[in-house]
Amino acid sequence: MTRLRTIYVSRQNPSRAARVRPENPGFERFMWWFMRLSGLALVILALGHMLIMHVLVQITGQQVDYGFVTSRWGTPFWRIYDFLLLVLALIHGVNGTRIVIGDFVSRGGLRALLLVSLGALTVLWMILGMIVIMGFNPATSPPVGPFS
Amino acid sequence: MTTLDRLLGLQDRIVRYRISWAQLAWFGHRASGIGVVLYLFVHIVETSMVTLGPNVYNTTLGLFHNLPVRLGEILLMAALVYHSLNGLRVIAMDFWPHLTVYYRGLTYAVVTSTAVAMIPLALIMITPYAPWGHG
Repeated sequence: MTRLRTIYVSRQNPSRAARVRPENPGFERFMWWFMRLSGLALVILALGHMLIMHVLVQITGQQVDYGFVTSRWGTPFWRIYDFLLLVLALIHGVNGTRIVIGDFVSRGGLRALLLVSLGALTVLWMILGMIVIMGFNPATSPPVGPFS
Repeated sequence: MTTLDRLLGLQDRIVRYRISWAQLAWFGHRASGIGVVLYLFVHIVETSMVTLGPNVYNTTLGLFHNLPVRLGEILLMAALVYHSLNGLRVIAMDFWPHLTVYYRGLTYAVVTSTAVAMIPLALIMITPYAPWGHG
């Protein structure tokens, strides 16, 4: 009986920790798929990034600094890797935040304010990140900064 | 009576229902997700300093080179590992609904794997601040 009931419930929302897949095509269903597919990619991209920058660097006795980033971004592979990581992680994270706000903030005005702020911040940070990853050029960056 | 029930004996006085692994896994997924996305916003600004040259960038990174931040980075790693493994469980159960039967076991596996993976990761990451790190 219990097992039958579990399977019955599971047909609607198998993972229970997540949302039921929206029935109608549209933005919400697109994001349901996006969260799962980008999640799979991010398991490799984000965990790989953390393992390289925090664990491998430590084991090999290196240090992340200006020279490290310059040589890393000297190859298109790591620029594309970081670009994909930026775009997928930011959209995945912001969509998750949007869902959390939607679940916990029920007051209309506050919810609208939070969602509009989140959207605006995301656009700004996405543009900043893209400009840095695609546009960084050690030859044109100032050799001396205000903290020197 | 499960271990969880015993651990959460006190919680009857806080909420009037039994907290389940399902709820904890769900809450952990959200908490770790929010933590990682907050760090992501800081990390994008921090990395953008690279365009201002070596002095600015290395000085910015210097702000992160202390024990409290390193402990935060270990927490970030734990959040990312948990979010990844739990996310894989969510995906697996969404696409193979029969796995729902093994719901509890899979959740135990996610929590245990995260804890086990974090032992070597935390030891490596804490090295610069640990007694064995000055060799």
